[in-house]
Amino acid sequence: MHELSIAEALIDQVGQELDRVGQQGRVLRLELSIGRLSGVHGESVRFAFELLAPGTRVENAEIVIKEPKAVCHCHACEAQLEIDDLVIQCPRCTSSDISIEGGRELMLQSIEIED
Amino acid sequence: MKIVAAKKILKVNDQLAAENRSQLDAAGVFAVNVVGSPGAGKTTLLEALFAQWKGRLRPAVIEGDIAGSIDAERMEKIGVPVVQINTDGACHLDANMVAAAGQELDLPTIDLLAIENVGNLVCTAGFDLGEHLRIVVLSTSEGDDKAVKYPAIFQGSHALVITKIDLLPHLNFDVARITADMKRLAPEAAVFQVSAIRGDGIPEVADWLAERCRKERRSENAVPR
Repeated sequence: MHELSIAEALIDQVGQELDRVGQQGRVLRLELSIGRLSGVHGESVRFAFELLAPGTRVENAEIVIKEPKAVCHCHACEAQLEIDDLVIQCPRCTSSDISIEGGRELMLQSIEIED
Repeated sequence: MKIVAAKKILKVNDQLAAENRSQLDAAGVFAVNVVGSPGAGKTTLLEALFAQWKGRLRPAVIEGDIAGSIDAERMEKIGVPVVQINTDGACHLDANMVAAAGQELDLPTIDLLAIENVGNLVCTAGFDLGEHLRIVVLSTSEGDDKAVKYPAIFQGSHALVITKIDLLPHLNFDVARITADMKRLAPEAAVFQVSAIRGDGIPEVADWLAERCRKERRSENAVPR
């Protein structure tokens, strides 16, 4: 969903972060966290990034994507299960008394620049 | 050298949405984001609700469409202040577009602002517009499995309005099933069944929203009703 505008926002954000810390070095690597439940497709972000990066400060930077899972806490059977997709009931006992934690992030975790 | 950022990539929309919400609060405006598929009956529902609210509260509407001003013209016809946003291809409204549209409205003279989003059950889920409440509109001809197929938009909504119930005799639509699915995703959500063309269920939705509007408007400028 909108991976192109996400890639655009990412490139802007890297520029802002570099300005914030006063660094001008070449960007070698970006670490992203794209949660399994975020609705965002990591590989499409990578693809869009490769389209938009040339000519910018992040040209040729490597993209490393972590895809954190969410945890489904079941209040009925006490299960704590990692899930890849949004569920409306516990995968173990099918109770709908559940809460889902994490897995929705879309974050720029770090920027590695040349020393 | 590693710079730790730990920043949300799309924080810009969240920030703008928060600003929108503050401005709406300051002006005493209660904002409702209306989402649903193309043809679900969002505009028709709003027309019916505005008729119910005549003399009870002062509405306005922001219409979001990819192109054209069809919905804005319908609103003008019934005398509701309207701003049309044309997204020129974007499949959802975002907080930035709503902020710009808001500037065309005289907010202190408005009690309830409806924001009719672009017809879309997918992308609209990801973009806070600064609203106080989100309602998802689903018509009977779309099928009763949509909450399972599109969980994010249903989970993020405060009410489900099932439209076109006059068509039920011709369809295999299980109202109990979609209601149960909605309650699992959003236990606090209200579920309504309406037929805008017949009028069924419309007063209940109008009353519910009017009551929420009354309770949640907070502003020194707001005229008490």
